[in-house]
Amino acid sequence: MNGFGELEPQTPELVRPYVITKGRGLPDEGQLSLITLVTAAADHEQRPTRLSPEEQNLLDLCSAGYLSVAEIAGHTQLPLGVVKILLAALTEGGYLITRAPVQRAPLADRDILEEVLNGLRAKFG
Amino acid sequence: MTHYIQNPVLWALLVAVLVAVALIVRQRRAARALRQEIAGLRSHYSALENEYAQSVEAAQEQAEEATKTVLKSAMRTLQGLAAEQQLIVSRLQNKYGESVILQDLLEIDHTNSQFGRRAQSIAVLCDGWLGRARDVASVYDVVRSAQGRVRHYRRVEILSQVDFGITSRAVEPVALALAELLDNATSYSSPDTVVEINIRTVPKGICIVVDDAGVGMNDEERARADKLLSSQRVSGVSALGNPPQFGFAVIGVLSERFGFEVSVDSTSPYGGVRAVLLLPHDLLTNAPEQKEPAPVVPAAAAPATARGGPEGALSTSTTADGLPKRRRKRPMAIVPGSASASTPARSGAETAAIMGAFQRGTQSGRATPANPAEKSSSTRGAGSEGHEIS
Repeated sequence: MNGFGELEPQTPELVRPYVITKGRGLPDEGQLSLITLVTAAADHEQRPTRLSPEEQNLLDLCSAGYLSVAEIAGHTQLPLGVVKILLAALTEGGYLITRAPVQRAPLADRDILEEVLNGLRAKFG
Repeated sequence: MTHYIQNPVLWALLVAVLVAVALIVRQRRAARALRQEIAGLRSHYSALENEYAQSVEAAQEQAEEATKTVLKSAMRTLQGLAAEQQLIVSRLQNKYGESVILQDLLEIDHTNSQFGRRAQSIAVLCDGWLGRARDVASVYDVVRSAQGRVRHYRRVEILSQVDFGITSRAVEPVALALAELLDNATSYSSPDTVVEINIRTVPKGICIVVDDAGVGMNDEERARADKLLSSQRVSGVSALGNPPQFGFAVIGVLSERFGFEVSVDSTSPYGGVRAVLLLPHDLLTNAPEQKEPAPVVPAAAAPATARGGPEGALSTSTTADGLPKRRRKRPMAIVPGSASASTPARSGAETAAIMGAFQRGTQSGRATPANPAEKSSSTRGAGSEGHEIS
């Protein structure tokens, strides 16, 4: 029976994602979006010992600087929602700081740009 | 004296005595024969009885075996289906990871795990298949795997961790046995209490201690549990009672087959049951490497791979899914301030060549020849403007 096992490399993960999230629900969409930036809180040195390996892993990832949620999810092999749940829990615990994504710069008005161009041409051209 | 001889009464008496003796002897003989007959009959009877008991036992065993075989293959199918479903659910979780469906998928996953565990338990009692072989896993992960297989997994708290792994052969049995212990612990304690798990290193190996705050077991239950956990239990599925109580029977079979010890004979500090699962050293190994170490590539190594061209790209490692693993070049340059410049060193000649090429390019790009002073001032203006924007 082991012969078949070798042919099928896929084995379900030992620890299921709902155990990793400890059954917590998904955070609000507004709280964490794909491009929310996350970093470790300054005093993350005093880490509690009771964090799961996945949470430790996330803290390690974020300790180097700001990372987006999407990028963090890419580094772990967990579903995005699970990563979001963990990040929300860590933020609540004060181990992580989130920063809302930077507002998109409003598109400059075409007329103004043209006027500036004309002005520059008049002066230098 | 002589007149006695002539006395007919004497003769009559003598005859009577002789007859009596003869009768007695005959009776005795008959009695002995009867006794022998009775003994023969008795032995025959007991032989028959033995034979009968044996044949009943054999029939029972045969029926038990038949039940086991049927159940075993039925459970094998169910286990296969549960494992297959788990893979599908995993795939869905990855696919719809960002949507709200994930919440429901996690619940389905949980139910499916419990379903798989039930099938596994019955299979164990029928000497069946335990499931696909697992890799070496850390004790903590095995405990969490067990936690995920019970209904009230949210009430289970793991309070300590150790740096040990469990050999691949023992991962599944230990997880299953622990799941049965946790199932008992959570079902026989009130819903607002917590079941605590402590993992401790002891000279003989590792102890996984499960404490619940339930009502505990009475003497009768304790005796039953001890009997099921020891080797003198009744094997088979027909002796489990109705509704069947699988827990201790499953644990008993598993602990005997895989060589760990389980005891439930102490009381937890919260008044419930304290169950202790002792893993001996030959089931333990070093803690496995983290699956996703999240390699933070040193800044110096990053440009080297970047300049390596296609060869460098080919040599990058791939994830388990076969996708190329993304390497972080530097710890996040998004935040202003942390962007420390680490540009690769160039020789002077190289720099000069690059600048020359740049200049030639800009000059050939300008169709209208302009006077050099104006050109330089316009480029300066553009340069400063660019800074303001960024």
